[in-house]
Amino acid sequence: MKTYLIDDDSLAIYLTEQLLRTEGFSNSICTFQSAEKALQTLVAEKQTAVPEVVFLDLNMPTMNGWQFLDALTPYAEELRGNCHIYILTSSLALADLEKSKHYDLVAGLIHKPLDGEEIRAIHSQLVDGLDAE
Amino acid sequence: MENSTKPVANPALLHASLKEREHLLSVIFDAIAEVVFVLSVEEDGRYRFVFANNAFAKTTGLPLEKVAGRYVDEVIPEPSLSLVLTKYRQAVVTREQVAWQETSDYPNGQVVGEVSVVPICDETNRCRQLVGVVHDLTKEKQVEEDLRRSNARFTYALKATTDAIYEWNVADDTLYWGEGFEDLFGYRLAHNPTSFAKWADYVHPADSQRVVAGLRRAAYETAALFWQEEYRFRRADGVWAMVFDRGYILRNDEGQAVRMIGAMQDISARKMAEAQQQQLTERLVRQNSDLRQFTYIVSHNLRAPLANALGFTDLLPRLDKNSENFETSLNYLRASLQQLDQVLVDINGILSLRDTQDGYRPEPVAVAEVCEQALMGLQEALQACGGELQNAIPAELRVSGSRAYFHSIFHNLISNAIKYRSDARPLRITIEATVEANGEKRLIIGDNGSGFDLEKAGDEIFQLYRRFHVGHAGRGIGLHLVKTHVEAMEGQITVRSRMDEGTHFTLYFRPCPDENLPN
Repeated sequence: MKTYLIDDDSLAIYLTEQLLRTEGFSNSICTFQSAEKALQTLVAEKQTAVPEVVFLDLNMPTMNGWQFLDALTPYAEELRGNCHIYILTSSLALADLEKSKHYDLVAGLIHKPLDGEEIRAIHSQLVDGLDAE
Repeated sequence: MENSTKPVANPALLHASLKEREHLLSVIFDAIAEVVFVLSVEEDGRYRFVFANNAFAKTTGLPLEKVAGRYVDEVIPEPSLSLVLTKYRQAVVTREQVAWQETSDYPNGQVVGEVSVVPICDETNRCRQLVGVVHDLTKEKQVEEDLRRSNARFTYALKATTDAIYEWNVADDTLYWGEGFEDLFGYRLAHNPTSFAKWADYVHPADSQRVVAGLRRAAYETAALFWQEEYRFRRADGVWAMVFDRGYILRNDEGQAVRMIGAMQDISARKMAEAQQQQLTERLVRQNSDLRQFTYIVSHNLRAPLANALGFTDLLPRLDKNSENFETSLNYLRASLQQLDQVLVDINGILSLRDTQDGYRPEPVAVAEVCEQALMGLQEALQACGGELQNAIPAELRVSGSRAYFHSIFHNLISNAIKYRSDARPLRITIEATVEANGEKRLIIGDNGSGFDLEKAGDEIFQLYRRFHVGHAGRGIGLHLVKTHVEAMEGQITVRSRMDEGTHFTLYFRPCPDENLPN
């Protein structure tokens, strides 16, 4: 399952990647420390190698998670159903949860740290979803 | 002509002529407004009314039939009676006109009159009759009394008010002051009225053009009836009072200003209270924004390393203790906890900085020298990256503030410039200072570094823990400190920046309010 990890915090990237690997979540994990780079890659590869899962941090310099989502709006039609974005944030602000509901591409909002149970839940959700299609 | 030829001593004709003249006189007497009466001087020394005209009845309210033929002591009430009897006596004895003023109560009310009596003597030079004329002064007396009362009221109003009331005589260009002026501003006036300058010279020089010239313009060049201004006025002890002044301009038929009545009110206390209120509001707004920032810090900057630490404690038990990943994760757990600690140290530092600001006293700071000192600690880093710094601040420039704050400002801005330099060109930092015409001092710290997108950063640039560069270990605390220091010294800071061109910070410091005041 092709997975993107977008977070400016290198410790958080390392942690999430290790957690995903120990759970056997994915064998293809791309990490990005800037949302711009992730956006470039995603748009360039959207025909050939769309990530099925994106873990997106919100609080990042220059381009934050919301700006990343806004930048994806023109491609929403193409990506729907193929690309599932999970917001992964350390923030506990309720406003973020409300705001995330306005984005079709957002499949859920998870508070850091990601734990094994959540990883398994996402995995089964995606596998079921893919099977249903 | 025909009559003149007739004998003079024709009794019938003479009688007719007398009658006619008597009739004429009585018409005249009844037509005039003056009170006229004739008294006969009796043998027993009493006086009897022989005649009184209509004006007599109208003024006193006594019907004429109750006057003619009566004795004076039956008509005129005491205490006037004693007075008039004395005066009549004087006229009879001296055989000369006597005049006096009297106030009597009649049925029509109080009458104030100027009375004169003329004695009429017979051939033996004995006074037989007195002709009296009364000029009614009641109305004039009333007006005079009203004026006296209104003057008294005005005088008491002047005493009651704490304002400095004045009257500007435009033609003489003099000012007549109420007592308030001396009380309010501590001056002792040797003369009153004073010259116009007594006021104009004490208006604050910075307000003079607006206030003094403005008043003259309003009076001479407009048709305005009211004029008002707020300005600083020098008290006798040299302290500037804040004054609210409002005047009413009296104009003649041609519209020219003749006089102005005005009142100066000392509103220093009110102004000071307003300023304190303003300060309090500003402090509350700042604290409110601090609170919001701290909420942000707790939810992001405190929670982020904490969440990482929690994650690593979850991960570690599942890793092989001898693996490289275990070693790395353990190190990262430690790093996360250190980050957490650093955030707490930062918050504590900023909070205690806020606390000490209340007791801070500004001093003139030699900014060029402080800049050099701040540079010394960064010289190594600057040389390592091949950068150059040009300090063009005049050595003699002093800015009112805190030495420690300026040191921190230069340190943070220079280390930012080094940190966010461009790899494409050698770093050049320039630091300049200008003094504007209005006395405002500006410090400009510029670099040719990587810059940032100002539009994206917006007003978050100076906020705590906001970062605008990818791939640099910034904590997002430096610019927040710089802004806090600048604002503590009542300055302002702005920034302009362009991607790949560089960043310029401008610090503005208002002229210190006391610097411009004469003595």
